[in-house]
Amino acid sequence: MSSNALKSGLQAGNKNGSTSLLKKKLRKFLNNKLALFGLVVVIIMTLGCVIGAIAGVDFKTPDIKNLKSAPSSLHIFGTDTIGRDLFSRVIYGGCFSIFIGVFCSVMSSIIGTVLGAISGYFGGKIDKFIIRISEIFQAFPQLVLVMMIVAIVGERGLKNLLVIFVITGWMTTYRMVRNEFLSVKGETYVKVSEAFGMSKSRIMFGQILPNVMSPIIVSTTTNVAFFILQEAALSFIGLGVADSTPTWGNILNAAKSVSVVTNQWWIWVFPGLAITLFVLAINFLGDGLRDVLDAKQQ
Amino acid sequence: MFKYIVKKILMMIPMLVLISMIVFFGLQLTGIDPINFMVSPEVLSANKDNVDALRESLGLNDPVIVQYFRWLGNCLKGDFGYSFDGASISSILAVRMPYTLELAGYSLVLSAILGIGIGILSAIRQNGVIDYVGRVLAVLGQAVPQFLLGIVLIQIFAIKLGWFPSGNRVSPDAASPFIDAVQHLFLPVLTLTIGMVAVLMRYTRNTMLDILNSDYIKTARSKGIPEWKVYLKHGFRNAMKPVLVIVVFRIPMLIGGSVVIESVFSYPGIGLTMTNAIVSGDYPVVLVTTLIVAAVMLVCSFMIDVFNALLDPRVRLSE
Amino acid sequence: MENKDIILDVKNLNTSFISDQKKVDIVKSVSFQLKRGTTLAVVGESGCGKSVTMNSIMRFLGNNAQITSDKIQYNALQGEKVVEYQIGAIKKANGPEMRALRGPELSMIFQDPMSSLNPVYKVGDQVAEGLLQHTKLSKKEARQKVLELFRKLGIPDPESRIDCYPHQFSGGMKQRVVIAIAMICNPELIICDEPTTALDVTIQAQIMELLKGLQVNEGKSIILITHNMGLVAEMADEICVMYMGRVVEFGSLEDLFDRTAHPYTKALLRSVPVLGLADDQQLETIPGITPNPADLKEGCEFANRCPDCSEECRKGKIPAFEISKGHRVRCLQYSNFPEVD
Repeated sequence: MSSNALKSGLQAGNKNGSTSLLKKKLRKFLNNKLALFGLVVVIIMTLGCVIGAIAGVDFKTPDIKNLKSAPSSLHIFGTDTIGRDLFSRVIYGGCFSIFIGVFCSVMSSIIGTVLGAISGYFGGKIDKFIIRISEIFQAFPQLVLVMMIVAIVGERGLKNLLVIFVITGWMTTYRMVRNEFLSVKGETYVKVSEAFGMSKSRIMFGQILPNVMSPIIVSTTTNVAFFILQEAALSFIGLGVADSTPTWGNILNAAKSVSVVTNQWWIWVFPGLAITLFVLAINFLGDGLRDVLDAKQQ
Repeated sequence: MFKYIVKKILMMIPMLVLISMIVFFGLQLTGIDPINFMVSPEVLSANKDNVDALRESLGLNDPVIVQYFRWLGNCLKGDFGYSFDGASISSILAVRMPYTLELAGYSLVLSAILGIGIGILSAIRQNGVIDYVGRVLAVLGQAVPQFLLGIVLIQIFAIKLGWFPSGNRVSPDAASPFIDAVQHLFLPVLTLTIGMVAVLMRYTRNTMLDILNSDYIKTARSKGIPEWKVYLKHGFRNAMKPVLVIVVFRIPMLIGGSVVIESVFSYPGIGLTMTNAIVSGDYPVVLVTTLIVAAVMLVCSFMIDVFNALLDPRVRLSE
Repeated sequence: MENKDIILDVKNLNTSFISDQKKVDIVKSVSFQLKRGTTLAVVGESGCGKSVTMNSIMRFLGNNAQITSDKIQYNALQGEKVVEYQIGAIKKANGPEMRALRGPELSMIFQDPMSSLNPVYKVGDQVAEGLLQHTKLSKKEARQKVLELFRKLGIPDPESRIDCYPHQFSGGMKQRVVIAIAMICNPELIICDEPTTALDVTIQAQIMELLKGLQVNEGKSIILITHNMGLVAEMADEICVMYMGRVVEFGSLEDLFDRTAHPYTKALLRSVPVLGLADDQQLETIPGITPNPADLKEGCEFANRCPDCSEECRKGKIPAFEISKGHRVRCLQYSNFPEVD
């Protein structure tokens, strides 16, 4: 039997039932009102921000006549401390925040998955080595690690932030995938695939990985929210992306001043609401996906 | 069991050394010359010989590796060196460390009590009022950025109502140190607690629900023992291990969170010290604070292992 | 028959579960009586409601279960006096009245010994817990009792084993501990929910021997849930066959094996290998699949799989008929016999 025939043989059982199962899962997801709400909000906010940015809203030019002006017909979210239109900044900042969230979450999931697969499947020295590395990374709270790297790099650019987030964010996925691989490795179908001489990488990514996909998808989704919050916190204390690139976090940086908090509520309420709503929606979406994908709950 | 703990403690030492090396050499890479911070540029150019002598006496001309071991040796003696503005780091830590420990400690204890308590209650009365309210709070608590929550709390309780100070840790004219402490700690602790409670509550609830469905709970009921014993002795005792692990696991989050929260409330702890040091490039301070945080993390993971061992006979007896 | 001879009397027990706002009936008008000092085997394929029936009686079901019954009466024999307990009328599933019964009167042995023991407590303490709850014994006295019982149940070296944790026991030993938990308060009625399914064959025989010994020597009454017909033939005095939540046939061991009446029971007996039964008999499978309890039609639940099905079988409610004393069958083939409820 060729390995292809074997593979199709192994998966035949899944394929037949998969269309109706997919439909069932889809229906279950659509029945989950919160998850649906999350999905809709995520789509609307993302589209809104992207379209706004493409349409070229002006987020840079200060309106000198209207510094710190309250929401009005001219500036529906008001203007910030140097007179820039807050609505445009929230839209434009959304693009960057969402991009940071999605990019970092996907990249760190990929790294975590690959390392976890290698670690769990091969075991032995290479496993010990990767575990040690992840433990060292874990010994720092992520925020502190990021701050340290910012101090070393000494520059607050978007690129640096992305790299730092990815380097410091892969450990949870790594541990999850590793544990899963460790437990699945001994199962008969893996042994069978090995016995038929399937290549190691095909066993790892073709045979075992699909079993771990659901938790990876769920954690990638919720990590988007995590990274957005992380960026916001970092930007808030002044170590995130430089002010010339707006994100939801560094718009909020203005709220470090007590006078802004007291007198110009719109400067922090609107970006704050944007983050909260988006993160809430992502969390609902993630929970919904978990309910649908988690085989244990069916 | 004793051997197990000793082994775990011994394993922490190489980790700490490794981390200190990473931090030390990492910061060397920044290429910051401490002399530039100690001596003003005019003096620097005027007294080149003296500066060189100073450099020599500070040991800055030695190979990096020698500098590292000297620094490490000093650290072990409790001498963490000096910040760029000339203050002894040890004395900075002596003042600020307790503040952060207060903040993080109270938040941890409070959130553990609230989170675990509410979590258990919502699992026992699944779909009841507490469960419902708890779930809504958990969702919100996880979605609102912590610093934003801090800002909102300042806005409401410090500015509008004026019940609490908006920042700092001590008032110069405080009549009673205790009331002063409570007033200054209340808002930051509350901010940190809300986020933690959200996570812990959710986790405790789900763990308890899993356990309450297990067979040995039925066995316990078949003995005719009262329900509270079923829930606490048989249910929670088994949930305790994963829940405690999560509590300890959350300490990194708590420390990360307190870095931000100290900034929001201008609370003079280690976090604020660290943030300011990073912003101003004061790398001896960054070095020491990072190392302290890493050490705390290592101690936490050590505690996780020991808890695991203490609570689970399978681990406890196998060593 | 008098109360004295009947230990458990169940009349018209119905259990349904609410899931996704839909009500699904799992147990439907189940009635049976258990004679004191005998063993009743409840058989049927997986999902037929046998476990749910017993868990309904013990009140172990969650909040999403609705239990109604005309009567669930437990008769305790205290000296010469009979004390009646109306389990069906007890409101709180885990309230004090129910708890007073669990342990000293009724107890249950569960299917999977691996997960029936709490992993964090010593086995001895787990066994003693019930004893300490229901008696005024000191911890030391309770320990002596546990040791005694361990010895009786054939746990080797009980003095040291009593302080071990469940993970240090093998499956068969764990099940002995589970039995000890059930036995420690000396209950009259023991419900065994597939007590040997999770164990390997040689251990199965030992455990069954143990249970049989208890019943014979100490006059305990046992309800044995199983789908192992071999065990049934060996253990049971009476048999209750369930299909889709209903009792389809009830009678003595001889009634069921020698004068099998219901088509389902016949099919069931043909589909399992039973030692000592007709040598030339072929093993068969029951055609068709078990219907989903959520979308059942009226009439006999077995109609679609029944070789003798007629038009009548798909209409209305099928009553039970008593074809000989104590032998009841829920099948229209026997409609010339007197109807019983």
